[in-house]
Amino acid sequence: MKFGFYPRLSWNNIMRNSRFFLPRICTEAGLVACFYIVLTLAMDDRMRRVNGGNYIPTFMWMGVTILALLSGVLMLYINRFLMKQRKREFGVYNVLGIEKRHVGKVLFYENSISSLLSIAAGILTGMLLYKICSLLICRLLQTGAVAGFYYVTPLTIFPTVGFFLALDFSIFLLNLVSIALMKPVELLQSCSAGEKEPKVKWVMLILGVLTIGIGYYLTITTESPLNALMLFFAAVLLIIIGTYFLFVAGSIFVLKMLRNNENFYYRPQNMPAVGGLLYRMKQNAVGLASIAILATGVLVMISTTMTLYAGIERVLAKHYPQHLYLEAGYSKDGNEIKYLSPSDLESIVSIAAEKHGAEIKSVEYHEYLLVSYYMADHALCTHSNMDVDNLMDISSDIGNYFFMTENTYRALTGETLDLSEGEIVVCSIYNPEGLKDITGTLTIHGKTYRIKGNIYHYPISANYLASMFSCYGVVVPDEATLAEIYGGQKTELGQYASEYTRRVAVTFADLRKAEAAGDAINQDIIAALGEISDGAEWQYTLDTRWSSKETMLGMFGTLLFLGLLLGAVCLFATALIIYYKQISEGYEDRTRFQIMEKIGMSRQEVKKTISKQVLLVFFLPLGVAGIHMAAMFPILIRLMKILLFFSIRLFVICTLATFAVFALVYVLIYLGTSKTYYRIVR
Amino acid sequence: MEILKVTDLKKTYTSRMGGSQVQALKGVTFSVKRGEYVAIMGESGSGKTTLLNILAALDKPTSGWVELDGKPLASVKERAMAAFRRENLGFVFQEFNLLDTFNLRDNILLPLVLGGKSVSEMKSRLSPIASSLGIEQILDKYPYEVSGGQKQRAAAARALITEPKLILADEPTGALDSQSSADLMRIFSQMNRNGQTILMVTHSTDAASNAGRVLFIRDGVVFHQLFRGDNTNEAFYKRISDTLTMLRTGRDAE
Repeated sequence: MKFGFYPRLSWNNIMRNSRFFLPRICTEAGLVACFYIVLTLAMDDRMRRVNGGNYIPTFMWMGVTILALLSGVLMLYINRFLMKQRKREFGVYNVLGIEKRHVGKVLFYENSISSLLSIAAGILTGMLLYKICSLLICRLLQTGAVAGFYYVTPLTIFPTVGFFLALDFSIFLLNLVSIALMKPVELLQSCSAGEKEPKVKWVMLILGVLTIGIGYYLTITTESPLNALMLFFAAVLLIIIGTYFLFVAGSIFVLKMLRNNENFYYRPQNMPAVGGLLYRMKQNAVGLASIAILATGVLVMISTTMTLYAGIERVLAKHYPQHLYLEAGYSKDGNEIKYLSPSDLESIVSIAAEKHGAEIKSVEYHEYLLVSYYMADHALCTHSNMDVDNLMDISSDIGNYFFMTENTYRALTGETLDLSEGEIVVCSIYNPEGLKDITGTLTIHGKTYRIKGNIYHYPISANYLASMFSCYGVVVPDEATLAEIYGGQKTELGQYASEYTRRVAVTFADLRKAEAAGDAINQDIIAALGEISDGAEWQYTLDTRWSSKETMLGMFGTLLFLGLLLGAVCLFATALIIYYKQISEGYEDRTRFQIMEKIGMSRQEVKKTISKQVLLVFFLPLGVAGIHMAAMFPILIRLMKILLFFSIRLFVICTLATFAVFALVYVLIYLGTSKTYYRIVR
Repeated sequence: MEILKVTDLKKTYTSRMGGSQVQALKGVTFSVKRGEYVAIMGESGSGKTTLLNILAALDKPTSGWVELDGKPLASVKERAMAAFRRENLGFVFQEFNLLDTFNLRDNILLPLVLGGKSVSEMKSRLSPIASSLGIEQILDKYPYEVSGGQKQRAAAARALITEPKLILADEPTGALDSQSSADLMRIFSQMNRNGQTILMVTHSTDAASNAGRVLFIRDGVVFHQLFRGDNTNEAFYKRISDTLTMLRTGRDAE
């Protein structure tokens, strides 16, 4: 005898119960692999140094946390299912005179074997897939791949192995306790215990309706993006709780209604299905709710990250009508800032651009003042006279105001406004709730201006950070008025006051060519500024389309990768829950259908009943996920507005595409598992 | 008028590897008249269960035929078999075979539901049967909430509700205590007095002594039969018991 008795017994158990153990081992291996990959991405220095890669560690650590949570929940779920199936077996052991501590030994070996197998397989898979994943990220970040991506370090292997060993061991301890608490008779009977007819839980039903209602209300009615950010998690939590409550209480309520409708219930195709569902709903509901929530999670994660990623070009086009903005000034010995003249700025840019073969098409000179105000009753108030506690209440009224003189406006647009003293023109540049005209008067720093009219094009586009709030352009008659406003906000805000912006806005003839040399152009400009500085303290703002693109690609590309990975894990988890549900129910249903056949139900009818039941169980969560997704649509749009997203159409397309792919995969899972189910029931 | 006619029924089982053959039935011939109450007795392995499965159309004979009310079972198409069984036969099983997912009322109504009967017809059929079997009070209970005897009465009600030509009972008292068995047998006798034809497989002499006729099966053939005639249950019990003893000792002598 080479191995001990218990290891051999355990090994045999695993082989014999491969229908249950194999999915568990595969799942754990998959989770280990994902965990390993994400952790390694978080710690791999070369990934961070890739263009736009500085977001990778942050987001990946977030991913590691989520994966750790998901792994815990999923492994617990599988374990609960496995233990339920096997309690009878343990009961037989007990009756045969194998003591509980020996059962514990068997369990220990079983757990160890399956745990070690999964972790080893997972780490190996993770190492193999790491290269593919890092290439995928580089592809999403639109940056060249770094050579030598095989990155193996104990720094990521040990934590991964340690985490999953600890997880498995805690689950083992949990099982040990639950076995120790069970009496042998209970173990023997636990499989066949009759479930009491479920009662309608009215409190739970009402709570479920309420929580979902409030959750939906929040997601649909929250207007300002900042409020959306604050309330999003509350809404998600409410919807999750509500989903569980509604599935548990609502399903029983609906089924009982169906049963009380005699003309519906006493039909050959309805009665077995309704009876079967009602009988099992208590245990079913939680599983179904979990599937619905996971499915919603997949939809939200993939559709939003996809939309953000696909929206990058559109956002850039919106925020960068020109390609490069440069503003620079210096102050010597603490004196007031002296700005570089437009021609100086232009020559610095054109020298750098010429050096890299990027032809400049046009240069504009922008001079404006950007100040944040909130609007209250036709007056603009600065934040200094604002109560911070009220920030959320009024956040929807906060706006960024771009002021320029009529001269500048005419120089940039060629249009004349003919403003007289005390008159202004207003333009709504961007507003999350839709652009709106402002008419009548506007009081700024104590002086009331008459609004001569609204214009619908403003020569300066809102920087994307500014467009977290609504943005307005204001044209004032002359320098004196602008200076008045500057002075007013300077007095009220002190060191937090805004300065004038005096910048050149450069458009290149061939954006691609300029983009290709983007980093070099930036460096040359900064170097040139350094050369003329002569020891003075420089302040400059260099804002280029390509830098923003790199930032966005880095941020949204990494997010998309994470969304896809976590989405895949959730999808897999969904499949797994369905698989285990189907086979456990298959064994229960088998006797039922045998009896029905004996008392005169044909095979066709049995098959029809089964498919009706299975279909409902399967597509209910999918439908609920669709409804959830639809309800969360408004708040997701607002959230994405914070992250500079504009096109609702794009979001709709991405969501529908995600839903279609998800539904397709779901149907495949359905076909696969229902085959197993039929095989068991037959 | 014969309602069931079984002619030279043979059933041979071939083991999976095709090697040895077992003859479970070696030519069983008998018939049951309308309104008769027949018990079939025999030891384990005598072929009782095989016979019942063939009569219930759950299994096919190797040769020979079964006619139910003049219609050969073999002529019923596979697709129509479930409906045929539902409409013509009622079953009472040893292990009740009630569905845990339904209360007793729904269990009893299930054959009618499968037959597509209207709700009003279901109700009008249920109430007399439920009251005669004494289960009106527990119709809303679930199988796991009632006793074995009550379960078996519900199963009997389920068999009766389709007004079948023949009730096939497979060891109906096998899982019951003696008091419940006696109750059930009283119900069977009452059903029979109301004109219901019953064929019951049993190895309980007690149960068989309620029948009008007892067939003894041994080694796959009908070996002997007893008619009740004017006997009381007790006297019939004695004769059945004697016959069984004789069969057993006769076999030992062979």
